Amino acid sequence: MATEKSERFDQVDWNDLSRSGRFDLSVNSLGMLLTTIPLALLGVYDWQFLGERTPTFEFIGLEQNLETLDFFFIFTLFLAFWYLVLPLYQNPRMTRYYWKEFRRNRPAVVSLGWLGVVFVGGIVGPLILNAPQQDLLIAYQPPVFTSVADTTPATCVGEVMNGRCYGTWQHPLGTTGGGKDVFTMIVYGMTISMQIGFITTTIVATIGITFGTLSAYSGGWVDEIMMRFVDIILSFPTFLMFLLILYIYGAGLGMFIVVFSLFAWGGTARYIRSKSLSISEEEFIKASRISGASTYQVIRGHVVPNAASSIITQLTLLIPGFLLAEAQLAFLGVGDSTVPSWGQLIATGRSDLSFAPWIVLAPGIVLFLTILAFNFLGDALLDALNPEAEAENG
Amino acid sequence: MSADQPLLEVENLTTTFSTDNGTLTAVDGIDFSVDTGETVCIVGESGSGKTVATESITRIINTPPGEIEGTVRYKGRDLLSLPESELRQIRGNDIAHIFQNPQEAMNHCYTVGWQIVEALQIHQDVSDDEARARAVDLMDRVGIANASSRFDDYPHEFSGGQKQRVMIAMALVGDPDLLIADEPTTALDVTVQAQILKLLDDLQEEFEMGILFVTHDLGVVAEIADRIVVMYAGKVMERGGVLDIFDHPGHPYTQQLLECLPEFGGTGGGISGTLPDPYDPPEGCRFAPRCEYAEEACRTGEQPEEVEVAPGQRVSCVHYGPGGNPSIVRNDEFGPIDGDGTAPTDGESEVGPADD
Repeated sequence: MATEKSERFDQVDWNDLSRSGRFDLSVNSLGMLLTTIPLALLGVYDWQFLGERTPTFEFIGLEQNLETLDFFFIFTLFLAFWYLVLPLYQNPRMTRYYWKEFRRNRPAVVSLGWLGVVFVGGIVGPLILNAPQQDLLIAYQPPVFTSVADTTPATCVGEVMNGRCYGTWQHPLGTTGGGKDVFTMIVYGMTISMQIGFITTTIVATIGITFGTLSAYSGGWVDEIMMRFVDIILSFPTFLMFLLILYIYGAGLGMFIVVFSLFAWGGTARYIRSKSLSISEEEFIKASRISGASTYQVIRGHVVPNAASSIITQLTLLIPGFLLAEAQLAFLGVGDSTVPSWGQLIATGRSDLSFAPWIVLAPGIVLFLTILAFNFLGDALLDALNPEAEAENG
Repeated sequence: MSADQPLLEVENLTTTFSTDNGTLTAVDGIDFSVDTGETVCIVGESGSGKTVATESITRIINTPPGEIEGTVRYKGRDLLSLPESELRQIRGNDIAHIFQNPQEAMNHCYTVGWQIVEALQIHQDVSDDEARARAVDLMDRVGIANASSRFDDYPHEFSGGQKQRVMIAMALVGDPDLLIADEPTTALDVTVQAQILKLLDDLQEEFEMGILFVTHDLGVVAEIADRIVVMYAGKVMERGGVLDIFDHPGHPYTQQLLECLPEFGGTGGGISGTLPDPYDPPEGCRFAPRCEYAEEACRTGEQPEEVEVAPGQRVSCVHYGPGGNPSIVRNDEFGPIDGDGTAPTDGESEVGPADD
């Protein structure tokens, strides 16, 4: 739905559509509403009227099934589109400026490219690639351009020369011990990583920003209680909590995301609180109050936008932590082994490391690159979005 | 609003702040009033409580730690007892502010146009297009060349003077009756300062505003004020018409302030000593510790009652009070009590000996 809209951007007269008064919705909110309502309806329909195993899109003859997590993922994609991508289009001048600043950081541009690949791969990949199938006959195929002793794979798909089995383009990154194609599994893992990244970010941002600004603006004992609560959240042994929940409810990816993001917003909230406090001392906050703005208008219109650059940076740097945590849990064997995440793939290849290292190395390198990319990206965003630096130049 | 009622009437305004070191009294029981179309200047050194006094009017001071007492009547309504929601309707709509430092008073995340439109849409339900048109009009009115194309520029792309013009435009969106200008020209250079003062003067006539102007710059006061209120350490030292005070400054503090100005024949040497501790103000006249005419009577009791020394000019000084001898501080021709304050004088060069 989002892509369908984007094709018609040039024809839309934004000034004409934008809010006609202060109670009207902006284009962004309107778009968000228009895309979320069908999604919510579909979600309710899927939940209430379809069986567990019935594909969501059966009514138009598609085999695609959406899980609860997928609905949340699509929702966060809508959020990102209407409130992150579209504003960039609406303010071409600032976008050009940010891009100019961002471009100066070469590693970050490469990182953005890599994350773009992961993002597109994660969304489009599962639609065009069939889910990896178990096929013991083609287990342990080596990646293309490499070879293993022909005793390692059950049957060699590619050429066998001098007693060595060579990899083929059929399985560019080889196969696992179960005969699943490693490349396909990595692409499916991209979806998982993007889901983890987007959904946790949304949850952490929502709770953290609300909690942080509320705490900063309440002050007094409310602030005190809220910040001590954050201390509790921060010192909570999330891992043990997750083990407990896993024991009671079983471990799905959704459970991982919910538990880890519900215990991860503490740092963000504390950071945003201190940021809000320093911003609320600014003269323009006083100017805004003096021209009659309410506390909500001040927070929504001035405090959060001014903190946004720091918030975006902070959240970008938070995502790698989640990806790593998921991989670690999967590696330890804690977590849902049916989820095709990179961590699970690494975990399956663990025992075959001596003779089939590509099963661990391929997803390991992808995971490493992705985490590195997020870190570079956060670093460059900090430089590009920092309004204080800009004001000092002006 | 009856005809004889002033636009703004401040009575016994006291603003204190509770801090860990005790209670700080920034403004201590001051009175003043502003009429429509009139410019009243609050003058005093830095730290005299001028800004706190003006920010107390619309209760912009954070409470707590601040505490505001007294009455502030705007068109007969007591602003200090109004609930926050009603006060918000007055802020920006009826009473507008402009600040000392326009650079800091603008949000650098947004274009200046956005900020003017925001100020407008807080109070009025107007469409974006209409708001934009009005904002461009206002920017044009305050003298920003090429207003419609500068609408989408960011604050850092404006010069200091232009930013102050934008701030004035933002202040004018609600067609205010009272404009509180807190040192609006301090951060600007002298030529721009003169332009801004001229602009404020023109706008005052056009919008029929009362202006409450805070400054420590007596040169600015001479240009725009109708009446002056001289503040020192949270108290009013002297008040009166601008000409009366410049010709016959009554209070030793006012005299010394004027002496600081080279263009008024002063030495430009400054006033020796510093402001008293706001946590523990001295007894008697606040200025007594720095006053060369101070006597025993100046250092006991409360700040002296204000005494009318000429029509409309009132001084809070022991020497003008009962039993005092004004000639001690006034070494120009004696006789402020009788007549119309036109006693012959040779001007300020004779007022008091220089303090250095």
